[in-house]
Amino acid sequence: MTHTRAALLTRYALAVPLAALFLFPFYWMLVLSLNRPDAILSFPPRLLPQWQFGNYAEVWRFANWPGLFANTVITTAGRVLLVVATSTLAGYAFASMRFVGKAAAFGLLLALYMVPTEVTLVPNYITLVHAGWIDTYQAQFIPFAANVFGIFLMRQYFLTLPKDLWEAAQLDGCNHLRYLLSIAAPLARPALVTIGLLQVIEGWNAFLWPLIVTSTDRVRPLQVGLAAFSFTDSTRPELLAAGAFMTTLPVLILFLLAQRQLVGGIASTGIRG
Amino acid sequence: MDPSRPLSDHAAVVALDVAERPRRSRASAAAYAFLSPALLVLLVFLLVPAVWVFGLSLFRWDLIANNPAFVGLANFERLFLRDDLWWQSVRQTVYYTAVSVPAGMALGLALAVLLNARMPGRHLLRGAVFAPYVTPFVATIVIWQWIFNPDYGVLNSALAGLHLPRPGWIHSQDWIMPAIIIYGVWQHTGLNLVIYLAGLANIPAEMEEAARVDGARSWSVFWRITWPLLSPTTYFLLFINLISSFKVFVPVYVFTQNTGGANKAAETIGFYLYQQAFAFFHAGYAGAISVAFFLLILLLTGVQMRFFSRRVFYA
Repeated sequence: MTHTRAALLTRYALAVPLAALFLFPFYWMLVLSLNRPDAILSFPPRLLPQWQFGNYAEVWRFANWPGLFANTVITTAGRVLLVVATSTLAGYAFASMRFVGKAAAFGLLLALYMVPTEVTLVPNYITLVHAGWIDTYQAQFIPFAANVFGIFLMRQYFLTLPKDLWEAAQLDGCNHLRYLLSIAAPLARPALVTIGLLQVIEGWNAFLWPLIVTSTDRVRPLQVGLAAFSFTDSTRPELLAAGAFMTTLPVLILFLLAQRQLVGGIASTGIRG
Repeated sequence: MDPSRPLSDHAAVVALDVAERPRRSRASAAAYAFLSPALLVLLVFLLVPAVWVFGLSLFRWDLIANNPAFVGLANFERLFLRDDLWWQSVRQTVYYTAVSVPAGMALGLALAVLLNARMPGRHLLRGAVFAPYVTPFVATIVIWQWIFNPDYGVLNSALAGLHLPRPGWIHSQDWIMPAIIIYGVWQHTGLNLVIYLAGLANIPAEMEEAARVDGARSWSVFWRITWPLLSPTTYFLLFINLISSFKVFVPVYVFTQNTGGANKAAETIGFYLYQQAFAFFHAGYAGAISVAFFLLILLLTGVQMRFFSRRVFYA
């Protein structure tokens, strides 16, 4: 008994300090965002915040945060809705429909899974220039409106549904679309939630592509605005930290609410990063 | 009609009944209607660009000023034979990968072994390590920028307290890569942790218990039982870590404020590609870099499959 107790204490003694190290930058974000600038520019640094909540009000006026916030919500929502729709339709077709060229189409998807998106940056940029989409909302999410992983995940899920369900629906006069919308998709909710959550994270954190295809605050997302702010205004670190905290908060809330689905979804795929 | 017939049945479709043909082509049309939104996006923004980029790499094309001019393999000749900055970015990407991937995986494994127990608060501890992985890059990098600040940063304050030297971190040519590696390990360990935890959950508890009953000590149980049984997980993690670390871009961009650091000491392949394409608008040359990057990733995957797959133990 004492042996296992000692073992448990050893676990805590090692894990708690490590976990604290991982959390420290979040704590530091909060401290910096609540300090006066003169406290940030002092050595050694103050480890406790000065509770300058005014920083948050000020950063809200300082840059076009409400606009950037709205842009991020719009492009993230577009991405989530489209990926969920395209994955559901295509995943269903692969799981439950017979068609000419199915094996070839599936092979094509597998091959596309291996293409690093970095390779497509320049051609896609040229395409969007020709489409006149530079500095628009749609440029930020249409290129990501479908992804191979989403299709695979939905296909896997639809394959697990019992055949009798479709046969019964057919007797009631259901076609594929009605069956999918009223029976199969609602049953596949866990998979839809996983895809949706991962896309919220991807959309909210998107940086490289929006950096390339946006040029004004009119459509720019928070991450790009925050980077621009960090380049131009290094004299106001407390405002930068307040901005960073505001862009982080929605993701952290989502993470706390849906930790299990999110971790499960990411652990099964290893995407992001 | 059976909606869930497996793919293999499709061989039989070739020998089809002529009378069934109209019905089947109607069914195909319906299926393609379902597939078309996804296929359209994937073709236009993934397949066509992946092929197009090879063509692009054969041209000299300044996106703003002139028309594309065919130059054959001249871009590759310049890239491989005369472009020192390219080779510097390759070396630095390899440096980043060679340190951050093993460090992140070892730390993730150690934490997974520690937190793979029925202990109160384990979800909180796991969540703390995983949180950086889902947080926006830029928001955390701008904070790490202040943590790394040589004059006012909390890291150098701690080092001074321990009577250790205080490096210039992101302002120093020698310390910028270690700084980016530290950030990368912090950001990425959570992924290794949760995937190793999933791997540990698949190991039957009896195997470790049996070894313990036989008198084996924890350390040797780990190396003789747990570690070999985790090899599929390790292999999978190595694969995704190598690929993602070869693409490293955002930390370089934000930490160095789009400069690549003092004497380009933090220039990586991803950053070099970005600069050639979108700072200098050398579309053709950036195409050649993309192709080289593509081949490098394929090579890496191939090497990995050849050397590591035989050592993987599948239970």
